[in-house]
Amino acid sequence: MIRRRMLAAVGVVLAAALPLAACGSGGDETSAESGPVTLTVSVWNLKDTPEFQALFDAFQKANPDITIKPVDILAADYPTKVTTMLAAGDSTDVITMKNVTDYARYASRGQLKDITSLATTGDGAKLAGLDAFKQEGGKYYALPYRQDFWVLYYNKKLFDAAKQPYPGNLTWDQYADLAKKLTSGSGQSKVYGTYQHTWRSVVQAISAAQTGGDQLGGDYSFFADQYKTALALQDAGATLDFGTAVTQKTGYASMFETGKTAMLPMGTWFIAKILADKKAGSTDVDWGIAPMPQRTGSDKVTTFGSPTAFAVNKNAKHAAAAQKFIEFATGAQGAAAITAVGVVPALRTDEMRTAYFGLTGMPTDDGSKKAFAPDIVNLEMPVSDKTSKIDTILNEEHQLIMTKQKALDAAIAEMGSRVKNEVN
Amino acid sequence: MSDLLTAAPPRAEAAPSPPSAHPRRRWRTTLVGWSFILPNFLGFAVLTLAPVITAFALSFMDWDAFSTPEWTGLKNFQRLLRDESTKVALKNTVYYALGHVPLTMLAALGLALLLNRRIGGVGFFRAAAFFPYITSMVAVAIVWNMLFHPEFGPVNQLLHVIGVTDAPGWTTTTAWAMPAVIVTSVWRDMGYYMVLYLAGLQAIPQEYYEAAKVDGANAWQRFRAVTLPGLRPVTFLVLILLTVQSFKVFDLIVVMTDGGPGRATLVLSQQIYRIGIVEGEFGYASAISLVLFLLVLILTVAQFWFNNRRERR
Repeated sequence: MIRRRMLAAVGVVLAAALPLAACGSGGDETSAESGPVTLTVSVWNLKDTPEFQALFDAFQKANPDITIKPVDILAADYPTKVTTMLAAGDSTDVITMKNVTDYARYASRGQLKDITSLATTGDGAKLAGLDAFKQEGGKYYALPYRQDFWVLYYNKKLFDAAKQPYPGNLTWDQYADLAKKLTSGSGQSKVYGTYQHTWRSVVQAISAAQTGGDQLGGDYSFFADQYKTALALQDAGATLDFGTAVTQKTGYASMFETGKTAMLPMGTWFIAKILADKKAGSTDVDWGIAPMPQRTGSDKVTTFGSPTAFAVNKNAKHAAAAQKFIEFATGAQGAAAITAVGVVPALRTDEMRTAYFGLTGMPTDDGSKKAFAPDIVNLEMPVSDKTSKIDTILNEEHQLIMTKQKALDAAIAEMGSRVKNEVN
Repeated sequence: MSDLLTAAPPRAEAAPSPPSAHPRRRWRTTLVGWSFILPNFLGFAVLTLAPVITAFALSFMDWDAFSTPEWTGLKNFQRLLRDESTKVALKNTVYYALGHVPLTMLAALGLALLLNRRIGGVGFFRAAAFFPYITSMVAVAIVWNMLFHPEFGPVNQLLHVIGVTDAPGWTTTTAWAMPAVIVTSVWRDMGYYMVLYLAGLQAIPQEYYEAAKVDGANAWQRFRAVTLPGLRPVTFLVLILLTVQSFKVFDLIVVMTDGGPGRATLVLSQQIYRIGIVEGEFGYASAISLVLFLLVLILTVAQFWFNNRRERR
């Protein structure tokens, strides 16, 4: 059955690719085009990802002769679908890069146009997260327009109730102490000091970012401190325990928005959701952000994040217009457009920060504003053809550690030996 | 349905065709026959047969779904022997089957015996027992996950009430995650197999029971000597269906535990999905599915052989 399902999937993918390829044989305009142009851009969940429409509207206003036609793809299928489209020679002009790993694959297969000139001049060179897109020979095939990074969200009401000052630059120890102090109640009405979501990034990516450890390296002893913190929080009952969160499929958004947790380490994409939910009236959480807690003795704020980028398809019908769009989207006007819907642009200027914190529902305190400018944002997971396999192994061992099915040292040793033996 | 599986299919050459029949007319009859099965066969050929044959060929190749497949001989199978995760998945799949098959059979038979009488509201209870089977697998998995919650879940609260002090952690522990999955799957599937058993029970002639009673057999003896032998064709069918189903288990595991904690509930079909669809190694994934196919084939052939031997006795 599964065999059938798998091959059926391939069949469906190929069948889906055929008409797309057929569409591609339409026009063969040269790059110097005039007159109205219809630019196609691949996006995911257009309706629930307001940044795309905001960008398109702004771009069309500035370029009345270009009409944007989004190619809307289901978010979960996005990487597979785009891989298939590119392999089939599809001519969608702009391809949105949902993650860096897929980008590296497309770039190395020569499926994207070289846009190094955009990346090295003007605003392009200032983009946060740009380094992740640097390929062999210093070439760039995509430019980030948004870059999310992790911060510590906190619920002001719960801090006031516990008579604790709002968090600023915390160390992990201070964070753990604070979480214990903020925990109150029991049973269904329990309020947790913090909520550490079940993703392995919550422990592993942050410790790699802050210790300089290599998640693809095979020696994972640098995870140990962060795991000790996480396990201690769980033992003290200061965070929802891992097993419960997994079995109940707990959502981090509802934990925070319903006031079940006082703190939440999470990516900045969550800001847009809080703003939207506040606007819709489904939450009235009074919130702020602080920098991610740091290791003792560090004088810089280091966190991790991942950029989202636009690239030009090698087979693009309107390559010139596509480059124009990317320049616009990653530039000041594009940044302003997505800032307006609560999304964090890759171009970070003071104007943009002011505009961002001027949105309805945003916290207005200086601490939150400062937290929005971390010193170093490292990539969540390094890019390699082994990333996916190592990710699986690290995730499996993460579950065993957090559910206490395996001792920490043993699990860390197992991660190393499994990565060495199973990934080749 | 059971007859379909146990009786030998009518052979084409056995159909007596009078030698005097016109060869042209015979040919036309054959064509008409083919035209009847053609729509179904076309669908089967395009959507099942071709992919299955392709998968067989792919298991000797290296293919990422986009580049040209590369012939690698037995490399995928050599890798299979060294692949720790796939071995874990195989072990877990066998564990699941060993739990799921007998327990579901027992539960289904028990339900069928209980509901095969003329009591008030039997229709309601039969429908109730069948209900889990038509419930969405995702809903079943999510609800049972909550029932199995170590602290707040009704399962452990019940165990606590009856005096169990250290109730298991179910899906949060490596030791109890698989039993939790098995219990859920038995609950879901028993209604369907109960229906098969009910049909089997009703096919047993009442005269046998009457004759046994006249001979002085008690209820247990009647069950052993009349019911069980009478149910043998159905039992065989249920056994085959359940075995095949157990080795293919996928959706329940993915939603309920996603193979975790760690690799405690990782099963073969899930491993094939991960390697093929997620990591894009279709050649290696096909090799694993070929092994899964052979495994199911051997088991099914063995069951047929065993059944035939007993039938001849």
